[in-house]
Amino acid sequence: MKNKVKEYKRRDNIAGYVMLAPWLFGFVLMYFLPMLISIYYSFTDYNLLNDAQVIGFDNYVRIFTNDDTFWQALKVTFIYTIFLVPLRLAFALIVAMLLNTKHRGLGLYRTIYYIPSIIGGSIAVSIVWQQIFGNKGVVMSLLSVLGINQEVSLLGNPKTALAVIILMGVWQFGSSMLIFLAALKQIPGSLYESAMVDGAKKPTIFFKITLPMLTPTIFFNLILQMVNGFRVFTESYVITDGGPLDSTLSYVLYLYRRAFTYFDMGYSCALAWILVIIIAVFTVVLFKTQNNWVYYESGGE
Amino acid sequence: MKKRMKKLASLLLASAMVFSLAACGSSGNDADGGSDSSDGKTTIKITWWGGDSRHEYTQALLDAYTAENPNVEFEATPAGWEGYFDKLSTQAASGSMPDIVQMDYLYIATYAKNGSLADLSEFIEDGTIDTTNVDDATLNTGLIDGKMAGIVAGTNALAVTYNPEVLEAAGVEAPTDDWTWDDYIALNTAVSESTGEESALTATIGPFGDMNFFNYYVRQHGETLFNEDGTALAFEDDSITADYFQMWADMASANVTPDPDEQSQIATLGIESLPVVTGEAGTTLEWNTYPNKVVASNPNLKLALMPGATENNAMWLKPGMFWSVSESSKVKEECAKFINWMINSEEANDIIMAERGVPISSEIRDYLKSKEDVDQTMIDMFDYVDKVTEIAGECPAADPGGIAEINKAFNDAGNSVMYGQATAEEAAASFRTQANEILERNNG
Repeated sequence: MKNKVKEYKRRDNIAGYVMLAPWLFGFVLMYFLPMLISIYYSFTDYNLLNDAQVIGFDNYVRIFTNDDTFWQALKVTFIYTIFLVPLRLAFALIVAMLLNTKHRGLGLYRTIYYIPSIIGGSIAVSIVWQQIFGNKGVVMSLLSVLGINQEVSLLGNPKTALAVIILMGVWQFGSSMLIFLAALKQIPGSLYESAMVDGAKKPTIFFKITLPMLTPTIFFNLILQMVNGFRVFTESYVITDGGPLDSTLSYVLYLYRRAFTYFDMGYSCALAWILVIIIAVFTVVLFKTQNNWVYYESGGE
Repeated sequence: MKKRMKKLASLLLASAMVFSLAACGSSGNDADGGSDSSDGKTTIKITWWGGDSRHEYTQALLDAYTAENPNVEFEATPAGWEGYFDKLSTQAASGSMPDIVQMDYLYIATYAKNGSLADLSEFIEDGTIDTTNVDDATLNTGLIDGKMAGIVAGTNALAVTYNPEVLEAAGVEAPTDDWTWDDYIALNTAVSESTGEESALTATIGPFGDMNFFNYYVRQHGETLFNEDGTALAFEDDSITADYFQMWADMASANVTPDPDEQSQIATLGIESLPVVTGEAGTTLEWNTYPNKVVASNPNLKLALMPGATENNAMWLKPGMFWSVSESSKVKEECAKFINWMINSEEANDIIMAERGVPISSEIRDYLKSKEDVDQTMIDMFDYVDKVTEIAGECPAADPGGIAEINKAFNDAGNSVMYGQATAEEAAASFRTQANEILERNNG
């Protein structure tokens, strides 16, 4: 009897792995092996065309001691992430709560609000943003109609360009919104009912019931969006190309440039691994703080 | 109705599948790098960058060659300039470079030194590529470390392109051959005051976009930009750099030339609709091929020598682009034959019409000039090269390794002056530090 159960389990496992095989195959070939290889390359002077020579920690030393652009890119990426994540989550939560009522045509709204997340990372939308916020763009024209004559556009000004990029990131709140929406529907109606019976006001209900019940979802979204934030590329690549004066140079854009424009693949691999470590550290720290603010109904399992 | 929709959907699906299959077919043998198949047919893979018109005529060129040589077939991969070298570097890394590659002066040294390009000397020696009508100075620009890494597709030279109608409307005289930078600034200031728009353009890239305009400025001072080994800047006086930055920054603050913000907007217009073509700006610094390139949009643009062109033999004839053959190609000889045909045959040049720069064969130049329906802009373009040949100095050596990074450092330094974040002197000093570090790291 016991053997039979084992046998079934084994068969189940095999079936599972067979189903997984296409993904596993892709993962190993497209992600895992290249990652391993990139560790090796980060210790070489590989430039895409030569035979790589191992040079020890030279790349890492150069990054930390002799590369101002690295610090600039790091600064830009941190500012971007620090502003993007709370803003995007707050926005997503507000819209999710608005959509969590019984309206006619709710499905349509949901779809519409999700659209930016699907198309947001595309080249076409980036070009539209360029036309809106760039020189001779819509915003500049509107401002001059109002009598405010701007010398430089929002995208052309090193002080404001990053804000536009962040705004575009916030605008792509759709996936967080959907997750919030699902979580909101999970909160038992009985909690709200008893709160109403006790005469609780709306803000109190929000802070005492909705928010605590949402903390696991917020935590999940936080991790997801933080990683996304550190990986920002398309916006700064297409809209501003990192400019003006590197004020929107994201870390991944710099890494890309090092590899494919400056023929500095080894160095670029080292940059990539530093980013991996940074993201890992942040994720671990977030997980450590989890006990202090995330509330699991089932007792933290 | 519903049925029709269904039919349409299935048709779309089917065609999508066919296309993706076709795509698989062509990418499936990418790694071969050209092949001699058993039926005696040779397939040559070729790639180039350019705009739509170049893609069209180059395809016609390939078809014409196949018609003449039925045993040769082409697999063409046209591309835009953006991303062209990103893709090429990955192909080179994986050993799947196309057989014939359109190569730029910017990168030819990088690729040649890494052994990715074939040495074409043997084909020149055995006459496969006939260079009797090509002058040595031009031909030798493709010579990297004693190997012929590419055959020049066409030469060009820096020039001022001006719009005579705009100048006339502003009441200023057309530039003369002996004009100076001061004359250049005065002319554009006058035009800007009359039109209210920036008049002094510098192509789509701006005055700091690459090193060519600055290189010219350095040569005017009798100096050289990079040293022979490409390990450091050769000129020592930072005031040259500072003066250059200051000149453009002054013009930008007087609204005579676009500031970096306006420049990024101009960059999105494309070369056919630059303000100088559409009649809003008076001049642009460009290569001498420019009026001929945009002849369809405006046939009236004229060429003038660069300001101060006669000083210190500052002008030079630059190889516009090269045809290189990849080292991994298995059909090098066929490639050489095709390159020879492009350079020396009247038939090919009837199609190319000097779009890739002034042809390097003197016979072909004479032939094109004598054609009946030739555009005036093309004659101007050829005459300009003749004029420059008389006053030109030596062509600077191929750009050193790390040039893309240097361009970036130069652009940032120049723009920081325009944004008022640094003085011209500070920017010049910072550029020198960065450039020397980059050069030493890449070529030291």
